[in-house]
Amino acid sequence: MHRACRVRKERFGLLFYDSRGPRLLFAETGDLLEPGFFTGELSVNGTLDKLTEAEQRKVTGLLSNLAKKGFIREQQIC
Amino acid sequence: MSNRFVDQGLRAPVNVTWEVTLLCNLRCRHCLSSSGVAAPHELTTAEALDLVEQFAKAGVFQINFGGGEPFMRPDFLQILDACHERGIMTCISTNGTLLNRPMVERLAKSRLVAIQVSMDGVDRKSCDLLRGDGTYETALRAVDILAKSPIPTSINTVLTAANAADIPELHALARSLGVSLRVSRFRPSGRGAENWEELRPTPRQLLDFSNWLAESGDVRTGDSFFSLTSQERQGLGLNLCGAAKLTCCVGPEGNFFPCAFLQQEDFLAGSIRQQSFQQIWDESPMYASFRRLRIHSCEECQRFDQCHGGCPAVAWHLKGRIDGGDPECLEKCVTMAEA
Repeated sequence: MHRACRVRKERFGLLFYDSRGPRLLFAETGDLLEPGFFTGELSVNGTLDKLTEAEQRKVTGLLSNLAKKGFIREQQIC
Repeated sequence: MSNRFVDQGLRAPVNVTWEVTLLCNLRCRHCLSSSGVAAPHELTTAEALDLVEQFAKAGVFQINFGGGEPFMRPDFLQILDACHERGIMTCISTNGTLLNRPMVERLAKSRLVAIQVSMDGVDRKSCDLLRGDGTYETALRAVDILAKSPIPTSINTVLTAANAADIPELHALARSLGVSLRVSRFRPSGRGAENWEELRPTPRQLLDFSNWLAESGDVRTGDSFFSLTSQERQGLGLNLCGAAKLTCCVGPEGNFFPCAFLQQEDFLAGSIRQQSFQQIWDESPMYASFRRLRIHSCEECQRFDQCHGGCPAVAWHLKGRIDGGDPECLEKCVTMAEA
């Protein structure tokens, strides 16, 4: 996650904040993901493994939207 | 932005405006809180640090510090450090008088702070007229030091009749210094109320500013001009009042209000000395009434989807009611300017 961004849990899912705008992004993910997924407190693979294929597609869509809008950055992990 | 999620109610504000002290070494004529002398029972250091902890627990993303002059508070750096240790981003609104190179270097270390330096004119004469003798030079020196640091910095200007013509030049000045310009709305609160008739921008000035703003995408306004902004600019900010929905304000004595411009007893949402922050945010009848607020008198207006009735604080200060529609909205400015 970009250092200018934050995320927290809300009733509808996740609320992302980018202080550079400031901008907000409302992700209607329900209980699918926890903020720790983005902040490094939870294992990415561990979380994804527990999701169905449809849920994984939803998460992939969210991740690409977040990357496009600059909330998160892609990085190689190996 | 989607209002649907905001209407459901957030668990905490996105940001909080915290006026940490009323103490100030300046006496600006448009000051929204009539700052000067400290409030009688300002929060102690322990109370302030506990409040930071409560904000962190609630999930507040950012605290916008103002006052008064925040740096006049002896424990202000301690409060800032507590925010940064908990990952809370901060933005400080300052007059710049107490900023020097060592202080800026100290602040820059956190990487979580942004600073707005108030400057209300493009030269000594126009700035000092509003803020007092020597304030232009002092603010300029502070901005110059900040511009050489990694701290995101902006010049913050309150749009008044006295400086409306200066805004494009201020924009150019900010650019030349390598910082951004943020223009805030003048509201009839505090000493701003005493000097309202003299300093309030005319409808023509507001219209000109609105047009200029539409062409100046890098100028920040927060959400304070949402009643004046063009449709194209809406993507840069919000199109509704965020008071008690996305933001709230806490005063120097720990009293919570919907926003910084409504710090009157009538709008008291609760005191941190009597309730927790989460209780105030979740249960305050005052906040609940702001979340239900609809400006029905504006619903037939063609711009309603763009401003939702504008700023309730201006409506209250000028018309005595928060649901009366913003008296300085773009539609009314056009009508008044034509008249």
